[in-house]
Amino acid sequence: MNLRRYTDRVRKDDDLAEEIESHLAHEQDAQSAHGISSEEARRRARLRFGNPRTVRERVWRYRSLPWLDEAARDLRFALRSLARTPGFTVITLLVLAVGIGVNTAVFSVIDAVLLKPLTYPDPQSLVQLVLTTDRGPFPGASIPEFALWSQQRGIFQQIAAFDFGAAGVNLTGSDHPEQLQAIHVTRDYFALFGAPVIAGRTFTAAEDTPNGGHVVVLSYGLWKQRYGGDAGIVGRTIQLEGQPYLVVGVIGRDFVTDTPVDLWIPNQLDLNSHEMVVNYTAVGRLRPGVTLAQANAQLRLAADQYRRTYGQQSLPPGGGFGVVPLQEFLVGNMRTPLLVLLGAVGFVLLIACANVANLLLARASARRRELATRAAIGAGRGQIIRQLLIESLTLALAGGVLGLAIGFLGVRLLLRINPGNIPRISETAPSVGLDLNILLFTLGVSLLTGILFGLIPAVAASRPNLIAILNEGSSRSGTSFRQGKIRAALVVSEVALALILVIGATLLIRTFRKLGEVDPGFTTHNVLTMTMSVSGDRFQTTAPVAQLVREGQDRVEAVPGVVAAGASNCLPLWSGFGMVFDVVGRPKGNSPFTGGAGFYSVSSGYFSSFEIPLLRGRVFTERDDASSPGVVVISQAMARRYWPNGDPLKDRIQIGAGAGPAFAEPPRQVVGIVGDTRSRSVDQNPDPMMYIPLAQMPDGETALNSKVAPLYWIIRTRENPYAVLAPVEAALREASGDLAVAHIRSMDEVEARNIARQRFNMVLLTIFGFSGLLMAAIGVYGVMSYSVQQRTQEMGIRMALGAQAGNLRNLVMGQGMMLALLGVVAGLGGAFWLTRFLASFLFGVKAWDPTAFVLTPLLLCSVALLAVWIPAQRATRVDPMTALRLE
Amino acid sequence: MVLKRPPDAGDVLQGTLDMLILRTLVLGAAHGHTIAQAIEQTSGNALDVEQGSLYPALHRLEDRGWLASAWGVSENNRRAKYYRLTAKGRRELAAATGRWRRMTRAIDLILGPETE
Repeated sequence: MNLRRYTDRVRKDDDLAEEIESHLAHEQDAQSAHGISSEEARRRARLRFGNPRTVRERVWRYRSLPWLDEAARDLRFALRSLARTPGFTVITLLVLAVGIGVNTAVFSVIDAVLLKPLTYPDPQSLVQLVLTTDRGPFPGASIPEFALWSQQRGIFQQIAAFDFGAAGVNLTGSDHPEQLQAIHVTRDYFALFGAPVIAGRTFTAAEDTPNGGHVVVLSYGLWKQRYGGDAGIVGRTIQLEGQPYLVVGVIGRDFVTDTPVDLWIPNQLDLNSHEMVVNYTAVGRLRPGVTLAQANAQLRLAADQYRRTYGQQSLPPGGGFGVVPLQEFLVGNMRTPLLVLLGAVGFVLLIACANVANLLLARASARRRELATRAAIGAGRGQIIRQLLIESLTLALAGGVLGLAIGFLGVRLLLRINPGNIPRISETAPSVGLDLNILLFTLGVSLLTGILFGLIPAVAASRPNLIAILNEGSSRSGTSFRQGKIRAALVVSEVALALILVIGATLLIRTFRKLGEVDPGFTTHNVLTMTMSVSGDRFQTTAPVAQLVREGQDRVEAVPGVVAAGASNCLPLWSGFGMVFDVVGRPKGNSPFTGGAGFYSVSSGYFSSFEIPLLRGRVFTERDDASSPGVVVISQAMARRYWPNGDPLKDRIQIGAGAGPAFAEPPRQVVGIVGDTRSRSVDQNPDPMMYIPLAQMPDGETALNSKVAPLYWIIRTRENPYAVLAPVEAALREASGDLAVAHIRSMDEVEARNIARQRFNMVLLTIFGFSGLLMAAIGVYGVMSYSVQQRTQEMGIRMALGAQAGNLRNLVMGQGMMLALLGVVAGLGGAFWLTRFLASFLFGVKAWDPTAFVLTPLLLCSVALLAVWIPAQRATRVDPMTALRLE
Repeated sequence: MVLKRPPDAGDVLQGTLDMLILRTLVLGAAHGHTIAQAIEQTSGNALDVEQGSLYPALHRLEDRGWLASAWGVSENNRRAKYYRLTAKGRRELAAATGRWRRMTRAIDLILGPETE
């Protein structure tokens, strides 16, 4: 079919018209030769020719695409028809748009986070090396472990070890000292992750050995911000912790790391070392063709070899080495949340489809007469069906476009409230677009619903019982009984589904509020925190750290507005260490140690800064330093668990026995018991904790610590903590010899971030619940409104027989509320069954929380009441005379 | 209850009409009216077709590239659209004639010689 033929047809038709005229003229001339009048000649010419119009029509039709013409005509009619019933059209569009938009937005975000592969090249062959224990996989690695793994050339193409850079590093040697995030990596790191090198090179093998010199690779961010994007920086030196470091390369912009990184420094590990300290995490790339099973089998053999070399205790009993796909490891077990999300999405979709179906059925019912008339005049079944189909399609597509807009806005909104805790959201934030698959899926489902429920009445209407329909008294005398039942059933199911969604949302809202009410055991208001990097050579022994802490604490406390200040190597709700310990003089039985607890090294001002209550004994003072006897303060949970019948203050404990030479120290006297703190997470019970003075840490431990954690400063202020930020920073600068602080956050912010994921879940489910509620309300309104309209005649008769306006209103409302109540009951049943899946998200709230299960039905009933009120009012405004006369 | 189109008289003769038009134009270009007259006369008025049904055929043939058209002035001093055979049209005519002759000869053989 030549397209040009189609576009040319108007011109060709004009041409043909002229041609025909020319033909007729010639034939008239020929006829005139017989000597007759010109009119007679004309008439005969006409006869011989035939009907010019028919000829033109034939040629026209031959040149056109009939289906296209008819479709265009149907489209115009559909648009007019939809415009004539604006209420229906707007509501249907809204329902479709909300259903499609909400689902698309949420799914796009979740898909970008959970389902999209990592941005590294060939991400499915990247694996995380772990220690497999009976409590799950544990990602840390020590040097001997990494050394052994590096030897497994048969399964790994590359393998790299790196730390997390939490310790920070100080950029010195200029008048803007800055604290930077640096991670130490082994040489293959860049090749492993396919990091794009935009200037210079990465580390050589020689540079990654214990005496490899001071070299560094810059990140794109640091390069741009601090060095203005000058490519000449390669080959120059920068000063870190007072030492010159040669810049050998710069990494490009699109390289994403787990934690933000300013520069990379070679690990320079001595692979023959026997240091058992777990400081690193290792990632490898499997050789092509090696499966996870093969890799895991090989690593089990390696674990046996490890035990033979380092002893049976070097690995936990029943534990070994293993690999886990990196993406799965980073994202964590998202299976349950994903299922819950899918469930919610499904519900919203079902509600939307039920709504659209309802609206379409009602509309088709109202148009029964119109369709019957068209059929009577001569429209074929195919034509009628096609026309109704185009109407549904138009609606669906328009709704889809609106849904796209809502989805787009929704994605922006969701990203804005992102707490920063959800993995990989920041990585993809600028590029989270609408996920095409889910959009197509949702659009497809809506289209299908539209077609199905638009088609059924169409098919029914085109069947030839025209006489009955045409003879019906009035289009307002009632509705088809069966269709009415279907619509009622749809509304009931909508209300039920909406109830389930809203109950889920309520449970999560209550969870979130309960979390907010939890007392973490320490003060979070008006408490400021910041980090200082002590990884430099200056701080590799305890004495200078102790002095820094003492001076810093004194100076900061002197700042007006500051109530108390302290320091620690961990921050509650953010980071923490754990250690094993033995109670001196207590038999251990079979286990290698008495127990384990959280482990903090703190300054003397720590407890007062956080207002952690002292329950017995005393806390640390300035006198607890390296020259005085070792002391330790324990938390109440620790006291209760390990001294159920005795007095901890009478005992001494040995911390870190068997953890390595760096931790060797004499036993410490328990001098005090403090209140419990929830230091891991707000929704976890308080752990047993032990605190030692920073000034009393063994030198080896300080050195290790300085590479792994920064020094946290905690400052409690009288008023808004940020108001005294500048003088506090200045005081710390003076005390530390010009070290810069970073990660300035209030403790409130830290606590908020701790429960950020729960907040995110709550917001998500609330969005779904609200959408579901809205659509259910629309559904109830739509059905009752339509029903009232159809029963105008009945209303009129009732009024004529003496019913008052109030009676009519109550009648309509009663029927509407009956539907709603049925839905609520069904929904409660479903909710009882389904909320168990939410159990893992809840805190302080049972899955069958009575408040939620009572309040939500009330909420839904009130919304339903509102939704039937308006049509009920309309019923009362029926004028009986007009209603009875209506045909 | 759908109205159906009555079958067109032109449909029946479409294939043959095409051939006749092509044959008529072998001798030179002509406009629609002339072609109609020529077909009537040379067939001895045995083929009685509405003159109008010529035009869909002409347009179709032109679209297929077998004819080319141009407006000109006729012998009666009127504007008329002249059609002429293209090279492609000539080839098609030869092929179609061959097919037709083969088919009629075959039917002839089957039917046997004409009896009185």
